[in-house]
Amino acid sequence: MISYEFLTTQKIEEALNYLDKFSKVHILAGGTDLLVNLYKESPRLPDFDYLLDISNISELKIINSIDNFIEIGPLVTHSRLINEPRIKNNFPVLAEAAYTIGSTQIRNRGTIGGNIVNASPAADLLPPLIALRAEVELTSGKGKRVLSLEEFLAGPYKTKLQANELLNKIKIPLLSDNYYADFQKIGRRKALSIARLSLALVTKIDEEGVFQDTRVVPGSATPYPQSLPETEKAINGKSIFNIYLEEIGKITSKEMVSITGERWSTPYKKPTIAVLIKRALKKIIKEAKTNE
Amino acid sequence: MNKITVTFIINSKEVTLKVGPKERLLDTLREQLKLTGTKEGCSVGECGACTVILDGKAVSSCLILTGQIGGSEVLTVEGLETDGKLDSLQQAFIDYQAVQCGFCTPGMLMSAKALFIHNLHPSREEIKTALEGNLCRCTGYEQIIEAIESVANK
Repeated sequence: MISYEFLTTQKIEEALNYLDKFSKVHILAGGTDLLVNLYKESPRLPDFDYLLDISNISELKIINSIDNFIEIGPLVTHSRLINEPRIKNNFPVLAEAAYTIGSTQIRNRGTIGGNIVNASPAADLLPPLIALRAEVELTSGKGKRVLSLEEFLAGPYKTKLQANELLNKIKIPLLSDNYYADFQKIGRRKALSIARLSLALVTKIDEEGVFQDTRVVPGSATPYPQSLPETEKAINGKSIFNIYLEEIGKITSKEMVSITGERWSTPYKKPTIAVLIKRALKKIIKEAKTNE
Repeated sequence: MNKITVTFIINSKEVTLKVGPKERLLDTLREQLKLTGTKEGCSVGECGACTVILDGKAVSSCLILTGQIGGSEVLTVEGLETDGKLDSLQQAFIDYQAVQCGFCTPGMLMSAKALFIHNLHPSREEIKTALEGNLCRCTGYEQIIEAIESVANK
């Protein structure tokens, strides 16, 4: 039987005090993953004595435009990502991914911070956030530190968040006009589906129609979401008028298997990941050609 | 296990309750407040039977601890009728025979109601998106969507 004391607060400082004062604290935000694990008494739940509810800390719900970044509070819900003009206009790929999460009820409670810290291999927001080069700001009683999101993730369901730290902000650098992005997801059905496979692609296309600074991040493909540098290298330097998509697909499949090894799902995922990168590239190429 | 004192508004009435650290909003509604219109289906946020409106938004009451909602406003299916008169959505569900076994109905009504709070004339697609977290194993959804559309077109 899971048993714990319940703590709640409306202030970041108080939450940090609790984290300093008590050990074995589990943080509760939107609850859409944690309450399922509590109900099922999931073995994935770490042992904890205190549940710290941060869902009412309003400072963690802010969206700000600062210099060349958009800063997103970790308690911003998926519904807000979909509807917030600054997200829709600057990072439509993030809003698109948020729209594929769960159902209306889940999107109204689930948060971007929860999606990150939970660090599921199938987390829908991680591929677009990594591809957008998002950074996370962590805060504790001792100060703040900033890590790239990719660096922050340490394994399936594992991050580098220390026991006394709280995810404070997600910072996403703004992209110039010649960047394009797409998110592809395959699930068993449209609503409430866990991604079987997903892929985020962010890339720059210069005046000559040449790909640069390409970022490819699949979800549910590797033990935890990470970039595919070989695929990115293969796309960079190619022209939108003369790129052989079949070849890129093969490189992506090969790179995924080089990370995961042959697994029970490989016969399905190997050809399917190739389809996703080709679909994403086709969509972006079409868009870039209309903008010519 | 500590008890938490929480004050919130339920169907326009303020209540102060002592709740357990593992007590979900669904448990509080059904067991402490005896509001059994809200149903427990899957208990993991996939069926929508426990949908209520929290601060204007449809949520699964099985995925919220009551300790989290101090100061909030909750609307359940019992709060839909006013002065003995059914909400237009409830009447439409009857008129369009959108109810068979009835287990999903409170959740369907609350998801639809939440949609109407923000959008008085939703399209068929918007109605379907609002209901995507609500399962019905009897009707095949058609009558439910038609009932909601009839209110949207008023």
